Amino acid sequence: MDHKTIKDKLTFVKKDKLIISIIGIAVFLLMGFISYSYMIPEWKSYQSEFKELVEEKFGPERAATVPTGLQQVYVKELNKADRCITCHQGVEWKGLENAPEPFRTHPKEILEKHPVNKFACTTCHGGQGFATDMHDAHGLIKDWEEPVLGRDLGEFYVMSDKKALMQMNCNSCHRYDKSTKGAGYINRAKELVNEKGCRACHVINGRGGTVGPDLTYEGMKSPEQFNYERIKGFHSEFSWQIAHFKNPKESVPETVMPNFNFSSADAQALAMLVMSWKKEHIPIEYIPGHNFRDIPTEEEKEKEERMLKGPGAFFVKKNCFVCHSVSTLGIDAAAQIGPDLAMAVEDVQSRFGRTLDDFLEKPTGTMEVVLSTMITLTPEERKETIEKLRHAYDIYQQQKKDAQLAKGK
Amino acid sequence: MPITETLKRNYNKLTWTWKPDSDKEAGDAIVKNMLLHWFPNKISKRSLSWNYSFYLGTISFVLFLILTLTGVVLMFLYVPSVERAYSSVKDIEYVISFGWLLRGMHRIAAHLMVAVVFLHMIRVFLTGAYKNGSAVGANRPLNWIIGLVLFVATLLLSFTGYLLPWDQLAYWAITVGTNIASAAPVVGEWIRFLLLGGNTIDQGALIRFYVLHVFFLPVLVLLLFSWHMWRVRKDGGLAIVDHEVLEQKAEKVAPVKSKTYSLLGITNGTTVHVQNTMVDEEKNTVPSSPHLMRRVWLVTAATFVVVVLLTLVFRAPLETAANPSVTPNPAKAPWYFLWLQEIVTITTVQIGSFTINGALIGGVLLPGLLLVLAAWWPYRDKSSINAVGVWFADERRRQNMVFLGIVLLVLLFTVIGTFLRGPYWNFYWPWESWPEMPIKF
Repeated sequence: MDHKTIKDKLTFVKKDKLIISIIGIAVFLLMGFISYSYMIPEWKSYQSEFKELVEEKFGPERAATVPTGLQQVYVKELNKADRCITCHQGVEWKGLENAPEPFRTHPKEILEKHPVNKFACTTCHGGQGFATDMHDAHGLIKDWEEPVLGRDLGEFYVMSDKKALMQMNCNSCHRYDKSTKGAGYINRAKELVNEKGCRACHVINGRGGTVGPDLTYEGMKSPEQFNYERIKGFHSEFSWQIAHFKNPKESVPETVMPNFNFSSADAQALAMLVMSWKKEHIPIEYIPGHNFRDIPTEEEKEKEERMLKGPGAFFVKKNCFVCHSVSTLGIDAAAQIGPDLAMAVEDVQSRFGRTLDDFLEKPTGTMEVVLSTMITLTPEERKETIEKLRHAYDIYQQQKKDAQLAKGK
Repeated sequence: MPITETLKRNYNKLTWTWKPDSDKEAGDAIVKNMLLHWFPNKISKRSLSWNYSFYLGTISFVLFLILTLTGVVLMFLYVPSVERAYSSVKDIEYVISFGWLLRGMHRIAAHLMVAVVFLHMIRVFLTGAYKNGSAVGANRPLNWIIGLVLFVATLLLSFTGYLLPWDQLAYWAITVGTNIASAAPVVGEWIRFLLLGGNTIDQGALIRFYVLHVFFLPVLVLLLFSWHMWRVRKDGGLAIVDHEVLEQKAEKVAPVKSKTYSLLGITNGTTVHVQNTMVDEEKNTVPSSPHLMRRVWLVTAATFVVVVLLTLVFRAPLETAANPSVTPNPAKAPWYFLWLQEIVTITTVQIGSFTINGALIGGVLLPGLLLVLAAWWPYRDKSSINAVGVWFADERRRQNMVFLGIVLLVLLFTVIGTFLRGPYWNFYWPWESWPEMPIKF
């Protein structure tokens, strides 16, 4: 074969070699770019800034002790490996109380009871402890449901205390406390739960009525499990809860939950409380008082006893007490929507112009709906109701008479 | 032979030095060695051409290589347990040096491999390369079937890897996928149970998918791949060579001096080299080393660059951790099964009180039928030897059209399933936005 034929045959070689060279350069550049990005992560600039800050404030000797490289707090008991301290290096330092974030000293008082090495960071603050860059770590991103419960989020939801949302995480361990220092919103919500008698309809921490859904693990629900058709504005689980507390019927038309006319702050507090009710595996040593139960107070116990075993127990059993008190039989309404049934005998007559017997047999208005859907009475139960209400009315009249006599005296 | 001598011989065999017992054993070892037979001594220029094969098979193998290398490193970092899988993937993403790159490349290479193997199959069909040429002992239909099994194995490799990150995407894609599999008649529920190691996707399923993903399926692919390559040589190289031989015959030049490189007397049958020499070596072939070698390097490096670039552009997603009580809306199978999910939806029809089981039709019968048809087709295709190794041969026009029609339908349904199906599997045009999904805060 002559050289010309060989040359003709191998025309592709030159081209191949050129392409290989170009690809070789591309590989080199790509690897260079990737290695360069590896050398300059976001956290490195924070670490050098922190070092400068320490040097300026405490001198070069202290600055030399500042750790470098990725840092994490690992708490096996809580299954946490939080890398927040890679940038938030000043958390446990003294003297940086007024330094700019992310270098500021953590408020001392709360850290004394909740040391970083025992609680890590995200346990209280939320956020994505895995992450090593700010955007991902603060967690206001898609695919991370527990963002940092800090100022930004508080501002977004127009909370009067911008940092209050974090109190939700306090309630993971402090769930069974009656009141927790520093958790004003959660404490207020717990008060409201007792004041408004939520347990009349809802099971909370294993105790309560069954008219409404069990709320013990309300915080485990996912945002997709709520219907947002009637929710104005931003669609999040938190905004749903707030809207629902403010006006239950507006977000769920078929609900029987009464409107308590909560203020915005109260609705926010309650939303925080119910969303804090999660099923979490927290070691017992993290629970204050090592108490895993919601123990009722003496007052609550007395009321429960009276309601469940007293002369009016029938009205509790049939759930009438959700809307109506029967004051003379010791029954307090949970929601105080309907009139006191102690006066039902005369009340029905004056309102509807019918006897109690007649009305219960053929109710009208709201009671027609209630007695045909939520509370059904057998003929025997109807008889018992009438008897009990007559008895309650007798006591009422007696009490009225006694009162008049006392007044006369 | 004294016992000490025997022991010594055996010891030597076991340790480093390989000592063939006879010349035949030594010759056989070379003849049977896959690596030594991967490339022929000389290769025709047309086999090297870009626009015949597009090097799709080579690219598939390079992708498999990238997957193996990145996969082996990932095996040191990933923990296949329900409690730790998700957090170990988070660690790979955030704290392992170049972990994101490894995982990203592994993911991109896996997606590409599914696509490239599929394209390779299309190329082989459209060029009639599953048909035997003039080589003695060729059995290209068998190699086509090996290829089909490799394609299915590739899909299974990708599918088993899909579960491992243990996030919502993984969990629900596997839920959809295994539910489709369970629609198979009689054995469906059993297959699902066997795959998942139980009735729910839990630790049992994770460890099964993991072992399949990192051991059984890769080994299967490697074995089948070796066979696939060996058969290519045995069948006389790429099908285009057969076409070249025909053209050469038509030229009516003096017959080429036929050389055989058979290892005379020490091996049986004709060696593969005989077929290669049918092509006029002087005029049409070049030495494999360095020219084919260089090409393979080129393709390897180019594939690597493309994978890295795509990794930089499309970061591997990791959704929220798997949650059996929250179904994402829509819940989708992996993209390469979405044409099936689409067909499942279309064929699930209620006529009066009678429901047509779409999962059975779209999930089992249709893909099963297509695979059987594909495996049978080389035996059914009676076109002449002129249609071997030629793109869109006139003789095979009708079957090529039908095949392309099926391919286009599969692609169409895949595109619809991937991009145009939103919440509740409703249809959305690309310019229509999906309803916003609520978040926690």
